[in-house]
Amino acid sequence: METEKKDFQSQFEEWKALTEKLIEKFPEKKEAFKTSSGIDIDRLGHPDHLDQHYMEKLGLPGQYPYTRGIQPTMYRGRTWTMRQYAGFGSAEETNRRFRYLLDQGQTGLSVAFDLPTQIGYDSDDMMAKGEVGKVGVAIDSLDDMEALLRDIPLDKVSTSMTINAPASVLLAMYIVVAEKQGVSQEQISGTIQNDILKEYIARGTYIFPPKPSMRLITDIFAYCAEYVPRWNTISISGYHIREAGSTAAQELAFTIANGIAYVDAAIETGLKVDDFAPRLAFFFNGHNQFLEEVAKFRAARRIWAKIMKERYGAKKPKSLQLRFHTQVAGSTLTAQQPDNNIVRVTIQALAAVLGGTQSLHTNAKDEALALPTEDSARIALRTQQIIANESGVTDTVDPLGGSYFIENLTDQLEAYVFDYIRKIDDMGGAVSAVEQGYMQREIHQASYETQKKIESGEEVVVGMNQYKLEDEPKPELHRIDPELQRKQIEKLETLRTTRDQHRVSARLEELRSGAKGTSNLMPLIINCVRDYCTVGEICGILREEFGEYTGI
Amino acid sequence: MKKIRVLIAKPGLDGHDRGALVIAQALRDYGMEVIYTGLRQTPQQIVTAAIQEDVDAIGLSCLSGAHNELFPEIVSLLEQRNAGDIIVVGGGVIPWEDIPFLESKGIQKVFTPGTPTKDTAVFIEKAVYERDGIDQSIKEPPKKIDHIGIAVSSLEEALPFYVNQLHLKLEAIEEVVSEGVKVAFMKIGESRIELLEPIGESSPIASFINKRGEGIHHIALADDRIEDRLRELSENGVKLIHETPVKGAGGANIAFLHPKSARGVLYELCDKPSKEAE
Repeated sequence: METEKKDFQSQFEEWKALTEKLIEKFPEKKEAFKTSSGIDIDRLGHPDHLDQHYMEKLGLPGQYPYTRGIQPTMYRGRTWTMRQYAGFGSAEETNRRFRYLLDQGQTGLSVAFDLPTQIGYDSDDMMAKGEVGKVGVAIDSLDDMEALLRDIPLDKVSTSMTINAPASVLLAMYIVVAEKQGVSQEQISGTIQNDILKEYIARGTYIFPPKPSMRLITDIFAYCAEYVPRWNTISISGYHIREAGSTAAQELAFTIANGIAYVDAAIETGLKVDDFAPRLAFFFNGHNQFLEEVAKFRAARRIWAKIMKERYGAKKPKSLQLRFHTQVAGSTLTAQQPDNNIVRVTIQALAAVLGGTQSLHTNAKDEALALPTEDSARIALRTQQIIANESGVTDTVDPLGGSYFIENLTDQLEAYVFDYIRKIDDMGGAVSAVEQGYMQREIHQASYETQKKIESGEEVVVGMNQYKLEDEPKPELHRIDPELQRKQIEKLETLRTTRDQHRVSARLEELRSGAKGTSNLMPLIINCVRDYCTVGEICGILREEFGEYTGI
Repeated sequence: MKKIRVLIAKPGLDGHDRGALVIAQALRDYGMEVIYTGLRQTPQQIVTAAIQEDVDAIGLSCLSGAHNELFPEIVSLLEQRNAGDIIVVGGGVIPWEDIPFLESKGIQKVFTPGTPTKDTAVFIEKAVYERDGIDQSIKEPPKKIDHIGIAVSSLEEALPFYVNQLHLKLEAIEEVVSEGVKVAFMKIGESRIELLEPIGESSPIASFINKRGEGIHHIALADDRIEDRLRELSENGVKLIHETPVKGAGGANIAFLHPKSARGVLYELCDKPSKEAE
């Protein structure tokens, strides 16, 4: 016993020494952190004696099982990336909003695409009617992508793109735009969502059936492992699962089960786990139940580290670290008394920060009514700036770690998740569970229960089922230019008459034969976009070869 | 009576179907037959499905902002195909300023976020019955005696009789400031005794006691169709104190009938939120 104690103690000393060394290289924001009363703020709160139980459950930040965070200094070293999801209307308009947000101190971009782009239709497709530029920016070809990223230095700014079924196409466009800026694909950094399983489960922007979809994903893994080393090739997303009405435990469980499916698929194609696992990222929801949310994020890290180590034998620390983006819960925003949403967002964002998020999107108060106005988008960004700069919660690592309640909740969520994973394993894994509609049913049940609780008043939603106002003021809302679709179609028609049509057809046929075979499709798609093939044309070829998913 | 049939549809490319699924289930639980189209339906597909399935109403859900284009197109296609009698309602993320436009295009009602699902069900039911000329009068009596209200000068003095002598269990004491009363509830069978103590001289209970002394003040009838019943009573010449329901203790919707129409008895209709329902 005595020697064991000493071992843990020496492990701790080692960690301290390593951390000091790291700080020499990457200094913390301040020499010393103090409270208003002049009390020193420790980098890490911890028990006097570290025992086996502590080391197994919590460990040290930056070390397995990463419960307390993936870096030893966390936000004392660097604040999370403030990444506001934005995009609407035309590429030019969105480019203006991006530059506005960067001027306001945002540190990363996050692109919202309109639904036709996300589902692989051009703006002039019959299916695109009414949807062009509505929930995001309309991108038909490289032309639009160039306008979207004009004057944004792609070697400095990292960009997250919420794109799934056609992720390869948009990533290819990003690579080519960077190339035109003189930035090589080795230098660019960012994330594509690229998580098709949760599209079948909860979000709905699928195109192809699961099997070819998984191939597109693993093609991206393989291509990026070799040529785009700083790109996060997938953002395995619980966000939408939660928005669809799941519980926190289900959000975690289904996301991690999907993660397992992607790792399995990549290994099956012959990739080595340590070659692609460091580029897997996650995306969670920051919801209402503050303490459970904090515990959820901490549990997520521990569970993933265990799975990667024990199930897959991953060796690299980066393969074991669950890095995640958080967006606060859009579904908790009320259309009634929208100013109250600022307060909801603050609490949810604080949970994400206390849970150790790597990047954060805070919602705007008017999102239950429309896309945010410039004013409401700014308040949303300010909310996280206030947490980062004024609240002081960033001065110490994992401040809630060691709380009896939080640790207990973290353990219980972990147990829930492993139960679900066993069940899903028994069904043959996440892909087959999705095909059987298992997750969809579980989520629907939970969401209906919540609705009933809200309607009975058991769950209070301030301003909506209690503390209502008789006369709701009507706020100013953001409007999309109703002429946009017409303008976008004109632009597309011009492109179709000015580009080299022979090259376009040749590229598309190369893609078709690639799709029939087994070669990696990424280089073929890059060639297509370089010659101005459109999103709709590329996805059209793939639709013909792969078929379409039609739901269950 | 034939069950009302509703098609819940997702026009456009929007994949958010939490609301559509919840509404579909809630309408089913209300007793309707519901068909859900699934995602990504064109207006033509929706109209074809509605006609084939012979539905009474279509509920459209759209959260992507395409409602102004897609909803009216569905209504006009229905008309073109001689199915203009199908009632169309909608919901989703719909800015308030778009609602008058949609209503002018024949969408009968737009339900914005936060609408209780039952309101939607009741709206569709009424609209269908009105269209079909079905008599909507209520044939059912109220569900039960919810409680008997007894005016007392002091809860403290009155309670021991109920608690110690009758062995009733005191559930809660609540002040309803707007009504000028402090209320004690005790459960008895499926009903309750409700003791009412006046707060201040302006309280209606104070004037009741001054005029008539302590004693039975009102009888409350549980009713889950208050609005319909009030309308019907009023049409039949029954005098009402409240023409539409107001909020009472415990978040219930309540309305009083005038004692002149009930031989001197003050009746209350009350509909409590379902967690209170036993």
